[in-house]
Amino acid sequence: MSDILAAEGKEFHAPGMELFDWGPLFPGGPEWLTWLTKPVLIVALAVAVTAVFLVMAFRRPQLVPRGAQNVGEAAYVFVRDQMARPALGKDAERFMPFLFTTFLFILFMNYAGVIPVLQLPAPSHIAFAIVPAAVVYVMMLVLGIKHQGLGGYFKGVLFPPGLPKGIYVILTPIELISTFVLRPFTHAVRLFANMFAGHILLAFFATVGYWFLIEKLTPAGFGVGVLGFLMTIVMTGFELFIQSLQAFIFTVLTASYIAGSLHAEH
Amino acid sequence: MVRPARSEDGHQRPDPDPFNDRDHRAFASAVWSVPSYLLSGMAVYGGLGWLLDRWLGLSVFFPIGILVGLGLAIYLVYLRIGR
Amino acid sequence: MSFILAAENAVSGNIGTVGYGLAALGPGIGVGIIFGMGVQAMARQPELVNVIRTNMLLGFAVVEALALIGFVVPFVHS
Repeated sequence: MSDILAAEGKEFHAPGMELFDWGPLFPGGPEWLTWLTKPVLIVALAVAVTAVFLVMAFRRPQLVPRGAQNVGEAAYVFVRDQMARPALGKDAERFMPFLFTTFLFILFMNYAGVIPVLQLPAPSHIAFAIVPAAVVYVMMLVLGIKHQGLGGYFKGVLFPPGLPKGIYVILTPIELISTFVLRPFTHAVRLFANMFAGHILLAFFATVGYWFLIEKLTPAGFGVGVLGFLMTIVMTGFELFIQSLQAFIFTVLTASYIAGSLHAEH
Repeated sequence: MVRPARSEDGHQRPDPDPFNDRDHRAFASAVWSVPSYLLSGMAVYGGLGWLLDRWLGLSVFFPIGILVGLGLAIYLVYLRIGR
Repeated sequence: MSFILAAENAVSGNIGTVGYGLAALGPGIGVGIIFGMGVQAMARQPELVNVIRTNMLLGFAVVEALALIGFVVPFVHS
């Protein structure tokens, strides 16, 4: 295997962290433009696409939906019935604007990973996963304090009613760390890790296909190259699924965190 | 919306109404909090054990703390949703 | 023999990652079986949904603990 890989001096290199190193988009450009890297561009595009899509869909709503309004309404009903209502119940409509735009924004950021030319899911940089998670975290705290009062909220979270008295000493630290430290952490990392791993996976198979079929076409490596090419196609489909799933999960978790701060647990 | 389910013999069953089902809501949030409960149990009691080890110059309490934390976290999951 | 030497040159990094890969294998299968069987049981006995959900979660917590033990073993041993 490795003598195929090391054919003729130049070796096959699996893609690594350099996949995520993006310098400024215009390397020779002016100083004030250095912040514009590819991930930033993708996030800006995702914002633009979300805004344009929603304006197109709901600018002039008609009783019999046509075109973009059809898609928009289907998406809205999906988000409301599958994500908002199971968690929030009758409060779902109040938070639908936030949940719906969050869902579409994350979805478009993720889909950038399989769209040709872009081909980089923005949340594969952890910063772009942390910011939405941090927004949700702050929202969770503010809503909790607003709806249940400062003492009531923290008491409800740290000392859930219905447990034996002595247990609190042991379990409250776990509860504290779990809710206020690990919850936003896992919320962000779940999205980030899936996008990161998916991007590396796709890049690996694509590199294998390119290397063995175009760069170093040998009879021994041909089969490997074809396998890499086919796996690239299969994995692109799989990534499409994972990207939708992660956007879904992110929104479901958002809804469930908000629901947790609106009402004390019983 | 969810319509009342009808069985084959035509009797109308009570509407399951998943949107107002508090159990369902608790379950949905609990599923996602299980991993963070386990992680925080390990972090808290593993960290305690690690500090004890630093203090006493041993290396026993860190693994013990991690296992105890996991056990307590599973117990907490049981208390919160299992009953 | 040169085969092994070449492989030695090609692979670098910590063997602990492979260990965690192996340790995640079992819990992965376990979680799959738990939720698969749980959904199957719910479909067969819709009136027992609450009991099944509870037991599903407890089983999930116990199995997930194994994966997390695999995750922290490198920290313990370092």
